[in-house]
Amino acid sequence: MLETFSLDGKVVLITGGGTGLGLAMVRALARAGANIALAGRRAAPIEGAAQEVVDLGREALVVTTDVTDSKQVDQLVTTTLDRFGHIDVLINNAGAVQENVRKPLWDITDDEWNLVMNVNLSGAFFCARAVSKPMSDRGKGKIINVASGFGMRAGRDIYMYCCSKGGMIQLTKVLSFNLARYGITANSIVPGFIPTTSTDSEIRSTLPRSGDFLPTGKLGTPEDLGPIAVFLASEASDYMTGEMIIADGGGLAAGITPTGHAPVVALEL
Amino acid sequence: MPTLPEYSLAGKVAVLYTAGGDEAPVLAQALAESGAAVFTIARRQELLEPVLAGLKQYPGEHGGIAADVGSGSSTELGKAMDALGASHDHVDILVNDVRSMFAQPLSEISIEEWDQIQSRNVRAAFVLCKELGGRMRERQYGRIVNLVSLLAERGMVNGSAFAASQAAVLSLTRSLAVELGTSNIRVNALGTGWMTAEDIPLEVQQEELLVRYTPLRRKGHPRDIGPLLVYLASESCDYTTGQAVYVDGGLNAHP
Repeated sequence: MLETFSLDGKVVLITGGGTGLGLAMVRALARAGANIALAGRRAAPIEGAAQEVVDLGREALVVTTDVTDSKQVDQLVTTTLDRFGHIDVLINNAGAVQENVRKPLWDITDDEWNLVMNVNLSGAFFCARAVSKPMSDRGKGKIINVASGFGMRAGRDIYMYCCSKGGMIQLTKVLSFNLARYGITANSIVPGFIPTTSTDSEIRSTLPRSGDFLPTGKLGTPEDLGPIAVFLASEASDYMTGEMIIADGGGLAAGITPTGHAPVVALEL
Repeated sequence: MPTLPEYSLAGKVAVLYTAGGDEAPVLAQALAESGAAVFTIARRQELLEPVLAGLKQYPGEHGGIAADVGSGSSTELGKAMDALGASHDHVDILVNDVRSMFAQPLSEISIEEWDQIQSRNVRAAFVLCKELGGRMRERQYGRIVNLVSLLAERGMVNGSAFAASQAAVLSLTRSLAVELGTSNIRVNALGTGWMTAEDIPLEVQQEELLVRYTPLRRKGHPRDIGPLLVYLASESCDYTTGQAVYVDGGLNAHP
């Protein structure tokens, strides 16, 4: 039953696959056999990722795309279909953070709110909408949304990021419920603190510098997401929809507290 | 067909406990297919035999014993640990399939039945996590996967005793993940919806109201959860802990 983990010949479209978590997922997907369409705002990172895909013996397509522009998203899907004929999997991974993450609520501008909501939530919606018809015509497809632990709990002075990622988790549930009848599943990956070279320096300054406050005692690595992305992209997850896989070092199970510090209380008489 | 080596369990020793149901044989096969040696502890002899029969096709040192480890009897636990110790000197993976089903109206549930369902599901999971989690801690490595029903999260008519047992196992999962995390032990739950190990034709399944209510319009089969079980039991599942991952045909996201 484990041959279902293979992505041999599958076509995966991923946004923001050139750096960080996206790049780690791209590498794992290609190793598992997938051909990959890479979309990103900047050409250089996705071109580099595409070269790695080709070096692994798979096919790659690069389409520079701003996911906040639905016309560009529609063109991205058309270009991908022209090249590969179909799309098996969409991974909504492109994400943005606000410039000054620690800003108090009253200083946040409309533009700052809109930018993050547009990239993270509207972009994911535009991409899901664009692939939904071709996927439903084939009677199969998988949508994977990369959310965040900040989509489950609040972060200090972090508004747009938390709200947009929470929206992605709910988008996943709504997509799953409504697209099930067309053979399309939708699931989320929920990463916790995973430092990457591309993590915005302002965001990074708000993250724990080590894993001391996580139950695992260590921070995650982008590579932790590889087998999760491959599982959700593969037939091994065909009966799973509307759900999430959380990779956060146990942060949500406990809360970010000093590890190993807790009271010991004897049984009452 | 390329698959990632990250999903391999080669060289690992897995203990699988089954409290009931018909899914353990396929779950054991998933672990064995990935390379693990599987030692099964079944609450009753009748639950053990199909597991052992199904493992014959897989190479590796597989074995098992019938023992009611949730009964609270140290003899039953000791019997299971002795049998395990005869073939393996350590344990890497513990899988607790603790979904022995029970559904009765509140007024019909006796104290004995309540205690019985908590024992075979919750107490068995606790006893094995305590015993084998302790051994994992000594070796600073382990993966524990508790199989629970999605009734851990939801209520159901006639489901009070069973659902409470599932919620208890999910809660146990969270606390143990936190307590054992720095010992390089990961503890997660794999949540399931309506399942059967029988291969029932779709049109027959869909005569059932609960199947038509499931977004993917069929019951789950243990084959649907085998691959995820393998991932959660693998070394590469290193940053996910204290969580439940549901594979339920979309039921949990459903109104």
